[in-house]
Amino acid sequence: MNSRALPAGLVLVLLAILVVAPLVGLVNLGGLPGYQPDDLQFWQSAYIRRVLSFSLWQALLSTLCSVLPAILVARAFALQPSFALRAFLLRLFALPLVVPAVVAVMGIVSVYGSDGWIPLGRSLYGLNGILLAHAFFNLPLAVRLLLPLWQTIPQSHWQLAEQLGMNAWQRWRFLEWPALREGLPGVVLLIFMLCLTSFAVVLTLGGGPRSTTLEVAIYQSLRFDFDPVRAVVLALLQLALCVLVATLTFRMQRLPEVEISIDPVTHDDCRGHKPANLVLILLATLFVATPMISMLVDALTGPVLAVLGSVALWQSVANTLFIGLTAASLAVVAGWFLLRYSASLALAGQPGRARVVDLAGSIIYVVPPLVIGTGTFVLLSAHVDVFTWIYPIVITINALMGLPFVIRSLGPAMRQNHARYHLLCQSLALEGWNRFRYVEWPLLRRPLGLATALAAALAMGDLGVIALFGTPATATLTLLIYQQLGAYLIPSATVTAILLLLLCLSVFWLLERGIGGRFDA
Amino acid sequence: MYFLLRFCTGTLAALLLAANSQAAIPTLTVYTYDSFTSEWGPGPQVKKAFEAQCGCKLDLIGLEDGVAMLNRLRLEGENTRADILLGIDTSLTAEARATGLFEAHGLKLESSSLPRPWNDELFLPYDYGYFAFVYNRERLAVPPQSLRQLVEDEQGPTILIQDPRTSTPGLGLLLWIRKVYGDRASDAWARLSPRIVTVSKGWSEAYGLFLKNEADMVLSYTTSPAYHLIAEQDDRFAAAPFSEGHYQQIEVAGMLHGSRQKKLAREFLEFMLGEDFQRIIPTTNWMYPAALPSASLPPEFTQLIDPGVTLLFDDEQVAKHRKIWVDEWLEVMSR
Repeated sequence: MNSRALPAGLVLVLLAILVVAPLVGLVNLGGLPGYQPDDLQFWQSAYIRRVLSFSLWQALLSTLCSVLPAILVARAFALQPSFALRAFLLRLFALPLVVPAVVAVMGIVSVYGSDGWIPLGRSLYGLNGILLAHAFFNLPLAVRLLLPLWQTIPQSHWQLAEQLGMNAWQRWRFLEWPALREGLPGVVLLIFMLCLTSFAVVLTLGGGPRSTTLEVAIYQSLRFDFDPVRAVVLALLQLALCVLVATLTFRMQRLPEVEISIDPVTHDDCRGHKPANLVLILLATLFVATPMISMLVDALTGPVLAVLGSVALWQSVANTLFIGLTAASLAVVAGWFLLRYSASLALAGQPGRARVVDLAGSIIYVVPPLVIGTGTFVLLSAHVDVFTWIYPIVITINALMGLPFVIRSLGPAMRQNHARYHLLCQSLALEGWNRFRYVEWPLLRRPLGLATALAAALAMGDLGVIALFGTPATATLTLLIYQQLGAYLIPSATVTAILLLLLCLSVFWLLERGIGGRFDA
Repeated sequence: MYFLLRFCTGTLAALLLAANSQAAIPTLTVYTYDSFTSEWGPGPQVKKAFEAQCGCKLDLIGLEDGVAMLNRLRLEGENTRADILLGIDTSLTAEARATGLFEAHGLKLESSSLPRPWNDELFLPYDYGYFAFVYNRERLAVPPQSLRQLVEDEQGPTILIQDPRTSTPGLGLLLWIRKVYGDRASDAWARLSPRIVTVSKGWSEAYGLFLKNEADMVLSYTTSPAYHLIAEQDDRFAAAPFSEGHYQQIEVAGMLHGSRQKKLAREFLEFMLGEDFQRIIPTTNWMYPAALPSASLPPEFTQLIDPGVTLLFDDEQVAKHRKIWVDEWLEVMSR
C-alpha cells in the first residue's frame, strides 16, 4: 500500500501547492500601487446573491440538460455496438470540448440564430441559449464518459437476463442502472463544474448581465476592479459550491457489488438494430454536428488558401500540438498515480478516502485559470523572468485542468482492474513495471487512450492561460482565432477554427488508436 | 514512460529557445494589446520601421487588453521589464497615473490631428476614434438620428452591445449615455434594455453576431465601415451619426519610470508621433492617427461620418465614478 501512497501523496502535495500558493500570493498583494482593498461588504450586496443563485441555477439545469439525454444516447450506442460510422461518430463527440467558446457561439448562432437553419429568434438569448450551448459542449462529452460503463457489464449477465426473459425495463433496472451508478456521480460533477465555470458563452448568449456567473464576477474582480482578495474569496466560494455538489452526488454513488469483468467481447448477439436507438443516435449526431457543419460551410467559403499560407499559422499549430501533448502526458501520469492510490484505498475498504483523493484531483478545475495564472505570476515574477517560463507554466496549468477528465475516464476501469487482479498480482509478486506491462497496460490501454486524448484536446483548445502571459512567440491556434476575430477577420477565424478542429480530431484519433489499440470505442 | 520523456525534452527545448533570445543589442520592451501585435495589427510594420532606424530590438509583448496591461504593471511594480506601455485609453489613464510608475515623456505633440488640445505630461496619444452604432444599409433603411431616438423609440432597431465590465467599447457606451443623460442614465438604460439582443464579453463576439444578422445595429467605431470598404470593397456598412455627438476614445502610450532604456523609449515615443508610424495606423488598427493631417488618410476615410461634437469625460472623473456607474448599470440591466 505504501508504494502507492507515496507517488499519489507527491501528486496531491504538488496539486495543493499549485493551487494554494497562487491564492496566497494574491491575498498578499495588499501593498500594491493603486490597490484599494475592498471592505468585504460585498457579501451583503444583492449583486453577489443574484450571481450566486444564477450560477447555481444555470449550472444545475445545464447539467441536467446534458446528462439526462446523454444517458439515453450512450445507452443507444452501447446497445448498437456495430454500425457504419460508429467509431467516427464517437470521435466526433469529443470535438465540441475543444471548440473555443466564441467560435461555438458563432456555430450555434448559425444554426439557431435569426438567419439560421432552425431560427429561434430572440428567444435564443437567455437561459435557452445558455442551455443549448452547454448541451452542445457537454452532452457529447457525457456520452463518451458514460459509454464505457456499459462495457463493464459482464457478458454473462446479459445472457442471464436473456434466459430470464427480462424486458428492456428490467434489464435497465437490474443490469444497466447498477453499472451506471458507479460512474454517473463523477460525470455529473465534472459537467456541473464545466457549466459553473462557463463564461463567454453565458455572457454572450445569456442576453445581458442578468446572466452573470461567479466566473464573471471573479474575472471582474481580478481584471476590472483589480481586487485580488475579492477574487480569491469568490474563487474559494466557487470551490465550496463544488465540494457541496460533490458530496451530494457521491451520496447516490454505489460501487458495484457484483464481480466485475472487463470483457472486450461485444454483445450484439441478442439485440439486433433497434430503430429507436438509431433514431436517438441520429438526433444526437445532428445536434452535435450541425453547429460544426455550419462552421465548416462558412470556412470552405472563406479565405482558406490565405489562412493556410501564413507562417504564423503553422507556428501556432506547432505550439498548440506541443502544449496539448505535453500537458496531456503530465495529466495522465499524475492521474495514473492518484487513481492507483484511490483504487487501492477502495479495495482496502476505505471508499470514503478514495473519493476524497479523486475529488482532490478533479475539483481544482473550478479555480479559474485566471486566478491560478495571476497568482503564479505574482509568486514567480519577483524571482525569475516569467517570460522564459511561459511554456512550463502554461503546460502545468493545462495539465491541472485536464486532470479531472483523466480521473473521470480512467477511474472506473482502474478501480475494476484493481479489484479483480490485485490479489492475483500479489500472490504472483507482480509489481512495478511488470505489473504495468502485463496486467494494467493490456486492460487499461483503452480508457488510458481516451483519457490522454481528452486531456490533449482540452489543452489544445485552451485560451485562458496562454493569453494571460502573452508574448509574440507563443501564439496558439486559439489565440490566433481571437486575434483574427479582433481584426475583423471573421472568415479567417472560422477557417482557423476548422483547422483546430481537424487537428484535434487527428490527435484524438492517433492517441485513442495509438494508446488504446484497435478496439471500437 | 515516454510521456514523461517527451515532456522533459519539450520543456528543455523551450527553455533553450528562451535563453537564446537574449541578444547583445539593446532591447526596447513594449507592453501592448495583442490585436496590436498580431499579424494584421500595426505591430509587425511598426517593429520593422523602428528597428531600421534605432539599431535596437523592439520587443512587442501582446497582452489581452488595456486593463490586462495595467494590471500586469501593478503586479510587477518597479521590477517591470517594460519600457513602454502602449494601448490604454483615456478611461484608464487616471488609474495608470495613480500607480506612480510612469515618467514624464518631455515631448511636445506638435502635429496633432486630435480634435482637442493635448497636454498630458505622462501620456502621448497615438490614435483615436469614436464609438458609434454600425448597421447594414440593406437591412436597416432609416437608422436613428440621435442617441435619444435610439434609446426612446420603442419601435427602434435591435442592438448588440458589449459589457462595460469586460470591454472598452462597452465602457464607452456607458460613458456616452452618462454624458447625454447625466443622472438619468439609469432610466435611459431601462428604456433601451428591451431592444438589447445581448451584451457580449468583448467586441469580437458582438461584431461577429452582427455580421450574422442577429441584430440591426452593433456598438463599434465610426471607422469600422472603413475596414469593409478597404479590405472587402463592401459599402453596405455605415455608422449612424448621432446628433448629440459621439463618445471619443483616445489611445495613448507612456514610458516607465523604471526603464533602463529611457533614451530609446523617448526615441520610440517620438517615432510613434512621426509619419512612418502614423501612416500604419489607419488600415491596421482601423482608427484615426493622432498626428497625421487628414489629407494623408486613405481616401476611403473621407466617406466616414463626421462625428460632429466629440464627447469625453475627464480621466479623473472616470476613475472616480466608474465603479458606481457600472454598479448602477448592473442594477438596471439585471431587473
